[in-house]
Amino acid sequence: MAKIRDLSINICGVKFPNPFLLSSSPVSNTAEMVARAFDKGWGGVAYKTIAHDRTRIIHPSPRMAPFNYENKSLVALQNVEQTSDRPMKDNWADIRWLKKHYPKQVLIVSIMGFSLDEWIDLARMGEDNGADMLELNFSCPHMTVEGAGMKVGQAMELIEKFTSAVKKTVNIPVIAKLTSNVTDITIPALYAQKGGADAITAINTVRALTEIGLDDFVPKPNIHGKGAMSGMSGPAIKPIGLKCVTELAQCDGLKIPIIGCGGAETWVDIAEYLMCGAAAIQVTTGIIHYGQRIVEDMAEGLSDWMDAKKFNNLQEIVGKSLVKTVGTDAFDLSRQGIAQFDLDKCIGCGQCYIVCQDAGGQGLGWDSEKRRPVPDDKQCLSCMICGMVCPVDAMVSYKYKPGKQEILPPVMG
Amino acid sequence: MKTKHRISDHLQNATDMAQGLSLTQAMNEAARCHLCHDAPCSQSCPAGTDPATFIRKLRLRNIKGAIRTVKGNNVLSGICALVCPTEQLCQKGCVAAGMDKAIDIGGIQRFLVEHGWEMKFNPLEKEEKKSGKLAVIGSGPAGLSCAAEVAMAGHDVTIFESMEKAGGVLRYGVPSFRLHGDFLDRELKDLKELGIKFNCGKTITRAGAEGLLKKGYNAVFFAPGTWKTVELNLPGIDLKNVCNARDFLAEMRSADQTKIAQMVKGKNVAVYGGGSVAMDVATTAKSLGANKVYIIYRRSMKEMPAARHDLDMALANYVIFRPMSIVTELMGEKGKLISLKGIETDWKKPGETSSANLVPVEGTEFNLKVDVFVTALGYQAEPASKEICAGVSFSKKGLVETRNDGVTTANPLIFAGGDIVRGPALVVEAVADGKKAGQKIIELFQKEHPGKKVAKRGTR
Ligand SMILES: Cc1cc2nc3c(=O)[nH]c(=O)nc-3n(C[C@H](O)[C@H](O)[C@H](O)COP(=O)(O)OP(=O)(O)OC[C@H]3O[C@@H](n4cnc5c(N)ncnc54)[C@H](O)[C@@H]3O)c2cc1C
Ligand SMILES: Cc1cc2nc3c(=O)[nH]c(=O)nc-3n(C[C@H](O)[C@H](O)[C@H](O)COP(=O)(O)O)c2cc1C
Repeated sequence: MAKIRDLSINICGVKFPNPFLLSSSPVSNTAEMVARAFDKGWGGVAYKTIAHDRTRIIHPSPRMAPFNYENKSLVALQNVEQTSDRPMKDNWADIRWLKKHYPKQVLIVSIMGFSLDEWIDLARMGEDNGADMLELNFSCPHMTVEGAGMKVGQAMELIEKFTSAVKKTVNIPVIAKLTSNVTDITIPALYAQKGGADAITAINTVRALTEIGLDDFVPKPNIHGKGAMSGMSGPAIKPIGLKCVTELAQCDGLKIPIIGCGGAETWVDIAEYLMCGAAAIQVTTGIIHYGQRIVEDMAEGLSDWMDAKKFNNLQEIVGKSLVKTVGTDAFDLSRQGIAQFDLDKCIGCGQCYIVCQDAGGQGLGWDSEKRRPVPDDKQCLSCMICGMVCPVDAMVSYKYKPGKQEILPPVMG
Repeated sequence: MKTKHRISDHLQNATDMAQGLSLTQAMNEAARCHLCHDAPCSQSCPAGTDPATFIRKLRLRNIKGAIRTVKGNNVLSGICALVCPTEQLCQKGCVAAGMDKAIDIGGIQRFLVEHGWEMKFNPLEKEEKKSGKLAVIGSGPAGLSCAAEVAMAGHDVTIFESMEKAGGVLRYGVPSFRLHGDFLDRELKDLKELGIKFNCGKTITRAGAEGLLKKGYNAVFFAPGTWKTVELNLPGIDLKNVCNARDFLAEMRSADQTKIAQMVKGKNVAVYGGGSVAMDVATTAKSLGANKVYIIYRRSMKEMPAARHDLDMALANYVIFRPMSIVTELMGEKGKLISLKGIETDWKKPGETSSANLVPVEGTEFNLKVDVFVTALGYQAEPASKEICAGVSFSKKGLVETRNDGVTTANPLIFAGGDIVRGPALVVEAVADGKKAGQKIIELFQKEHPGKKVAKRGTR
């Protein structure tokens, strides 16, 4: 039986039993759902964003559409869901119930005001009803209410203003959830910090257009003949999430912890977010795709990897890749290599040959008798696309060619 | 068309065909394909089917293009997808087998053809009308593919067929659980849209080929197949409930199967032979509710010529195999079969597996209580076929002798293909012959009527 290590971590003085959190979305919509997730091992929740009852929330229907690649469904997910459409009092009752029955799991209440007094009001109610932390949603890219969500996350003074108003209202830690739909995510983060934010969550969904109907010309999801640019989530946005978290973690002026979010489904994604500098990771689309049960594999996988890498605790992983993430000008260009082929493993599909001819350095010939590639080391660019299309494990590998390569002076081009 | 069961080989009844792949299943299968360079699958179809291209097209969501490729290379590609022994042909060299198992090329091919029907997309295109007139004798796969080839080039084509309906073995041989009549009709519809005329119920008799040429046809394609069964000289062969596979299967494809069902239901049936036809009979008998069904075959399981899929189908339907055995006598009571006598065989010289090397083994005699006995020992040319074509030479076996191209005969206006040339062979080979003969005939018509350019046949 798998022995799961202690995966706990401390963020802003709050103890998280593990770094696996439900993010604010349909997966955290009610106490009943969240309770089941806690029972399965999730360490905390950012509860579905609560807005003020003054504005009635109606979700567009249908509200989601998958982005598929070949035969793979849900490579990404496009959604136009709004903040919680439940009455505020039901949500507060759920939150009280959760805190009472699950005191060990971290309860983050996500809020979104449509005016300054709403932000203050929601923050106070959140704290009063038992939230361990607050998350300010500055990042939903498709609010049907004018000037809300991402619009705030793109207006720096508003971030500072709302954060500071909330901070003055409550004593619990306050997290700013930011959007990646800006040129440089460190700028809104610094404004949030200036407003007093205790942590950053990055990222919310990426504003995008994933698919367009070929019969009706309507972007998906097709809301009765109309589509809109809206939030994309899931595995396809993980690279953007990792980038944002790294930028935040490497930002000199930013001193507050980061919670990662975007496309995490497996322990590998979790490990990557931790290495980029996230102290915990939130998940939605992974659960929309596979259900809450994925947490079991996150915990087991991460635990085994920590054993193998001899990490003593989670904190040691946080930021592990940062020193190795450099500017491209820091590369050692004198070190070069080639693609190396273990032809005993080859099954003879010839995909490597096709792509080397058409997109590489023509460094592969083809023996049509034996159905095998014929490497020509002199022509190899070490671009490695041959290995990327090869269906066989470890047939193609990168081999470093020892000996310093002469570096020619850069050519203007 | 009734297509009920999915995936399972176990037949629910004798006439329903298994469902094909759905779009998702076809895409999943295509995603397993390695999209090989110089793909082996595309080099091994006698009819020039090009799976590497149509799978790539499907994978890149160019579905119409994929259908165009499938149908353009083989006008009976739907049927071939169902009846081809793919494991011996396109799937044989499949590189994916090096990872797990070969791609289900037949499954993808069938999906594309059926998807085209669903989308009402028939890629077969007819060129402008030309003056050639072709008569085709026989509407089996050879005749059909030749007719389509020539019709697409714009010429006038009439098929003469002795049976009531078109299709040859496809209609009156292959069991409908493999190729349902509705499916056949649907693929024939694509051909009919090319303007091919079907003259069914019309047998061409002695010197008939010349007669057609005299009547104004510029060429004849001769494809009557091989319909004479190999008969057995056995005591008791004239008993009631003893028949041959041809008649058994033809009856199954007739409008009313009650008689044959009555003969088989609850009874013990023995089928003699180890080819695909024997498997078809055995599986059919089982699906009609037969009690025990035996396959008796003189050589070992390893030498059985049946296609793997047909053998698996029989196994999945609880057919009992008695290899290394021959039948010596059929026993009757009041003219009706009640049991058979047999004996086991062994190799005279070990290691040599020809039938000439077989000997009965004393002391291994056995009795089987059987009520029905079906011979499935192969087919030969009808002796009457010879008389239809003057100026064409025939072998001792009654098969047409052709030039090296396999379709040109001694008479420059008569071409031949399919089983009448090859002896019992495969549907896809018949298709290949028809296609090749069609191209020769188009060339011939072009020579006779120069001036108009023969465009390479296209698909829409
Ligand atoms: C029971 C059975 C099952 C088979 N299963 C398979 C299989 O699963 N896969 C596979 O690849 N192959 C299979 N085969 C073999 C395959 O069917 C043949 O190789 C193929 O049909 C040959 O095609 P053809 O056009 O030459 O002849 P046929 O299909 O035999 O067609 C010849 C046609 O010509 C007509 N005809 C004959 N004489 C005349 C005349 N004088 N005037 C007018 N019409 C005439 C006949 O009525 C018939 O319709 C099977 C064969 C049999 C018998
Ligand atoms: C249907 C849906 C609704 C969402 N609603 C909210 C929300 O109310 N508040 C919020 O902060 N984020 C919301 N999100 C964003 C997620 O919390 C998360 O930041 C984003 O989906 C990226 O993570 P993922 O790739 O794990 O899904 C929503 C996402 C989805 C798919």
